Amino acid sequence: MSISLQNIVAGYDDFQLKTVSTEISEGSFTALIGPNGCGKSTLFKAISGQLKPREGTIAIGGSDIASMRTRAVAKRISVLPQHPVVPPGVRVEQLVGYGRAPYQNMLGIQTSKDQDIIQAALETVSMIDRRHQLVSDLSGGQRQRVFIAMCLAQDTPYVLFDEPTSFLDIRHQYEVLDLMAKLNDDGKTIVAVLHDIAQAARYASGLIVMNNGGIHTAGAPSDIVEHSMIHDVYGIRTLIYPDPVTGTASVSPLNTCSNSQETLSEMV
Amino acid sequence: MTRFQLILLGLCVLTLITFLWSIMAGAVPISSKVVLNTLFHFDGPKQDYIINRSRLPRSLLALMTGGSLALSGAIIQALLRNPLASPKIIGINSGAALAVLLATLLLPNLSYQWVPFIATLGGFIAVALVYVMAELRPVSPARLALIGVAVGFACDAGVDFILVTADTYVVSSPLVWLTGSLWARGWTHVSQVAPFLLPMSVIALFMMHQLDLIRLGAAQASSLGQHVRSTRLILLAIATFLAAVSVSAVGVLGFVGLMAPHIARRLVGGEHSKLLPVAMLVGALLVLAGDAAGRALAPPLEISAGIFTALFGAPFFIFIMLTNKSEETT
Repeated sequence: MSISLQNIVAGYDDFQLKTVSTEISEGSFTALIGPNGCGKSTLFKAISGQLKPREGTIAIGGSDIASMRTRAVAKRISVLPQHPVVPPGVRVEQLVGYGRAPYQNMLGIQTSKDQDIIQAALETVSMIDRRHQLVSDLSGGQRQRVFIAMCLAQDTPYVLFDEPTSFLDIRHQYEVLDLMAKLNDDGKTIVAVLHDIAQAARYASGLIVMNNGGIHTAGAPSDIVEHSMIHDVYGIRTLIYPDPVTGTASVSPLNTCSNSQETLSEMV
Repeated sequence: MTRFQLILLGLCVLTLITFLWSIMAGAVPISSKVVLNTLFHFDGPKQDYIINRSRLPRSLLALMTGGSLALSGAIIQALLRNPLASPKIIGINSGAALAVLLATLLLPNLSYQWVPFIATLGGFIAVALVYVMAELRPVSPARLALIGVAVGFACDAGVDFILVTADTYVVSSPLVWLTGSLWARGWTHVSQVAPFLLPMSVIALFMMHQLDLIRLGAAQASSLGQHVRSTRLILLAIATFLAAVSVSAVGVLGFVGLMAPHIARRLVGGEHSKLLPVAMLVGALLVLAGDAAGRALAPPLEISAGIFTALFGAPFFIFIMLTNKSEETT
């Protein structure tokens, strides 16, 4: 089961994606990267079903999302939004329980199976000890893990993350990324909007690089992360070198001002 | 027994006691013994007329409208994801008030039985206006609230204009109604609003899980499989209905819709399966107590329940807000 996008045109009155086609294969960890305003969020919203494309089709495992019921989509794709809303007075366990909604009737009454899945999700994100705490009392990193547990309770083959690391410190960033990698190992297909190219290269199996509302390049990080691509997309000169720890691509900006041409030629 | 059950039981007991007090209190004080004799047809002295014709229907009306306004407030707070939200903020109360005043002026011979319909119509027109305008762009809770406040102010301006320019005699009775009063409310009013409020309250309680989901924001709710647009419309309609019908019977008891859900959230948390029933009881209790206190304080003078609910509620509400460490606005 893969997600395939064919000739997608999506967006708003003031911003439109160029026609986008791509394939997100089953079991992959795909990172969407690109500068601010390049259309990553728009594409992300289209894939997650929040934004209906004006043209083209998005298919999960061959069936068109547009013709599927919201509930059926919710059993296949779960989403961690960029700014999840923390409802007042709701405890960790309750919030994670909302992830079971696609499988429940209108009243949301939990079965023992639901409860087992909720407990398992809390264990996966190591929040089982805090299950009775109010979500609003938790730190940013803990909240992020609780919302990831909600995605897990949704029990979907696809989990989509919109900038999951943007507001976290370095330790919590890597905690979340490791968690995503673990889910990927467990067989889930991960799609994430990331800003840090080195993190994307380190964790993702495939990158989709966006620019000006279209896909600039797509492929394995080791094939596509190079200074000409970064310069094309972000307009800055960089040195790409293997990360001493992982061997994956790491990015250091050279002099970022426009007169950095010489510095680059000296170094490369 | 869980904390929730304990609180529910406590509130029920408190409501029963207040109900009894509400029937005892007033220009003619009646002892609890006489009240019980009359209500349950025991032998002994009775006060049939005052109790059965005046205080009993009035107290029942207070319970129903208080509960309905609280439910409406809880729904609107979840929809707008805003702790300041209440039925008033999306223009329901003001729309209903303006409609009733206009009707009183333009159709002086209008019989009272039409007032609930006119108030409900006014509330619905105001909310429909707000919703349609908010729909011009993708609906955001903040825009819904801002447009609601604007429409509310416009309606209030209309109300003020009528009150200032119209004949004092014509508007004197609507004026009492506007402050939120149960004065001279009887079985007619009860029988007029009960067929609407009771079933609608039950429907509202059934929406508890949908409220939990929509409280997470449109994007998250939709990725959990909810049809956000239709759910939002249904919830808005229920909330409008509950508040507008209540306003038609007892006037603008604005504060209950804001306060009761907050008190309930403080007592049992934010999950709507607990929040809704507790908010309903708290709202019923507040209006009942407000009305009884208004009658008991300086008989035979009556002070509007709306004034008393706010007077009692405001300090308590402020206390709750000051001791609540994490009230989030998003």
